[in-house]
Amino acid sequence: MANSKKPGGLREMLESMYSVIALLFILVACVELCDAAAAVDVYRLIQYDMSGSPFGSRFAALNHHAASLHFPPGVDLSRTVLIIPLRELNITFVREYINQKNPLGGLLVLLPEVLSFKTGGNKQVHEKEKMKNLLAELERLLVHSNIPYPVYFAFENDEIDTVLADIKKNDLMGQPATATTGGYKFVIPTTEPKKVASPTMTNIQGWLSGLKTDGDANQLPTIAIVASYDTFGAAPALSVGSNSNGSGIVALLEIARLFSLLYSNPKTRGRYNLLFGLTSGGPYNYNGTQKWLRSFDQRLRESIDYAICLNSIGSWDNELWIHVSKPPENAYIKQIFEGLSNVAEELDLKVGLKHKKINISNPRVAWEHEQFSRLRVTAATLSELSVTPELLESTGGLFDTRQYVNETAIVRGVKLVAESLARHIYGHQGKNIQIFADESSLAVNPAYIRSWLDVLSQTPRVAPFLSKDDPFVMALKKELAGHVDEVNVQHETLEGIFTFYDSTSARLNIYQVASVTFDLLLLLVLGSYLIVLFSFLVITTRGLDDLISLFRRPPSRKLKTA
Amino acid sequence: MTMFHFFNCAILTFGPHAIYYSATPLSEYDTLGTSVKAALVYLGTALVKLVCLATFLKVSENDGFDPYQELLKAVIGFIDVAGLYFALTQLTHRNISQNHKFQAVGLGWAFADSVLHRLAPLWVGARGLEFTWDFILQGLEANANLVLSISLAALGSLMWLRKNKPKTLIPIIYACAGIVATMPSITSYLRRGLGWHFPKVVGFELFTSLSMAFISWQLFSACQRPSS
Repeated sequence: MANSKKPGGLREMLESMYSVIALLFILVACVELCDAAAAVDVYRLIQYDMSGSPFGSRFAALNHHAASLHFPPGVDLSRTVLIIPLRELNITFVREYINQKNPLGGLLVLLPEVLSFKTGGNKQVHEKEKMKNLLAELERLLVHSNIPYPVYFAFENDEIDTVLADIKKNDLMGQPATATTGGYKFVIPTTEPKKVASPTMTNIQGWLSGLKTDGDANQLPTIAIVASYDTFGAAPALSVGSNSNGSGIVALLEIARLFSLLYSNPKTRGRYNLLFGLTSGGPYNYNGTQKWLRSFDQRLRESIDYAICLNSIGSWDNELWIHVSKPPENAYIKQIFEGLSNVAEELDLKVGLKHKKINISNPRVAWEHEQFSRLRVTAATLSELSVTPELLESTGGLFDTRQYVNETAIVRGVKLVAESLARHIYGHQGKNIQIFADESSLAVNPAYIRSWLDVLSQTPRVAPFLSKDDPFVMALKKELAGHVDEVNVQHETLEGIFTFYDSTSARLNIYQVASVTFDLLLLLVLGSYLIVLFSFLVITTRGLDDLISLFRRPPSRKLKTA
Repeated sequence: MTMFHFFNCAILTFGPHAIYYSATPLSEYDTLGTSVKAALVYLGTALVKLVCLATFLKVSENDGFDPYQELLKAVIGFIDVAGLYFALTQLTHRNISQNHKFQAVGLGWAFADSVLHRLAPLWVGARGLEFTWDFILQGLEANANLVLSISLAALGSLMWLRKNKPKTLIPIIYACAGIVATMPSITSYLRRGLGWHFPKVVGFELFTSLSMAFISWQLFSACQRPSS
């Protein structure tokens, strides 16, 4: 039966088959599997260097077992991820843990779903003040510490709640998850975070020209209205800064819209130019504003009568503050303050004056108007904050979401600023004339404010992570261009004492894993099963052959073929 | 330890086939060729079934039990039986006894079934970090399938290869063959129509396969006795 040709042909066929099989194996080995019990979007704590000192969470990748706060005392947590929902967070515990530099595999903080701008919507927040204070404290702690393990934030949903309940149950039984006892494993497969190469700050300025009659040799005076639009927070992918400074941006856009209506008709165009500035780099000592002002022509800078900076005017009840750096006795400051107070009285609200001297040698710039004052331009900041914020505070953090902003407050703020500006421009000081009266064609439009506030509350705006042609910045530019005559965009590099690192959001995979002991046990069971099966078959077939002796078996000697 | 789990499930799914081959006298008589040929016939049968299913079956949106579709699937399932008939009767086997012929064919048939239906999900799924009991249950199902295939092959050989059968046993043989052949439809009815969970279905399969194996063993030995 075997001839010389057949083995050769067979060998060739076998060889080709082997190569096909090898190829198949290679293909198959490349199949990546990602079926997890749950996959959640998580947002990393910010990582930055300030003057060379590291702050924030220094790692991004995660591959550890999970434990809850009910872990048995004394257990080693250096290869465990602690998952803590906000309502169970004990800030002193976290502070001690970080300050004592205890080792930890990772930290995952679960925020309530209402705070999410993707799914929370406009649901009401229970215990607003308590949550706001807790979040503010947590943020302050995390942002100013150097944490050598990954810290992530996530929003609660059904999946992760069931996982958490399971983990708690296991922990209470005294079995924290490790490699030998099974449980849940949290995996975030990202690369090491890298420095953001040259972070850009983009300043947008809009120019509305005043009425220049012939023979007016001198340049018209200018009034500037400025607001910074970028934010900084513990989780940069969640820093939407609805109040700080979304309210300011929205107010600026509305004021621009109102004055563009007035200025569109030469009969109502004022004899002042209006300069609108949307600046970046706010949290970093208003670096962007400084660069923007430095880029001005000397003549332009000298022509600025005064500048009003808007900062957080979204959640006040009855009192606003005007912060200045020139002494209140200064004539210009008095003029601005009186103008605003008169309008405030009519609108049934209070404005107070706060004076803070600038220290030229101190690089810290707490308010935007200080950058103007350093270049000898009269300026004031209108804000609901009465206390000067510290560095990297009140810049749009975890609690600064849409629910904490009141659009009526912004409407009143816009009325205040616009009315007082108009009285100054058209020379109606002291007269009781309402230019932007309700129900008129120049009324403040709450729908416009609301829609822009909603958009801003869904857009995280941390400057180093906004590229040069970021769509949101372009949208702001386009919107401003619709109201003013001329728009200019200025790109600057964010240099100075801050360095930022990327990797702000990731996807967490939660796996339910079996322990090694389980696998070994299974191997033992299967091994014994197969051995039992083998012996059973041998016994029965030999027995069967004895029973069925009707046909003779061929000789059972295996012939060794050459 | 995920390759470990894959290894465990693999030996559960494919181990018994190798054990069966080496433990019984099949290995002594070198019936590997028969098994391989039976596996190839199974492959061909599977392709034919695939084409028929694709042509005649409608894709249903819900996961419920549609009697008409299931009936159609059962009819197409009889192509399996035709394939088995082809493997038992038409393939030229070397001089091996009928006893070993049906075992070899059944073994090859079951091995091809396991590889085709269970290897890919095992490779893709069992290597992941996530642990489920599914693959272990799948392995047990493969074991039940092996026993069922061998019983079906035994009954098939009784029906088509043995000429002198006691008259009383013939309807029983055909009835048992019918039950075993329609086992896939029965299990899918249990899963979809009655909503049984996977472990329960696997338990049922194991129980029925063992009982059918016992019945077909009795029938086979009963048919052997008259001619001795």
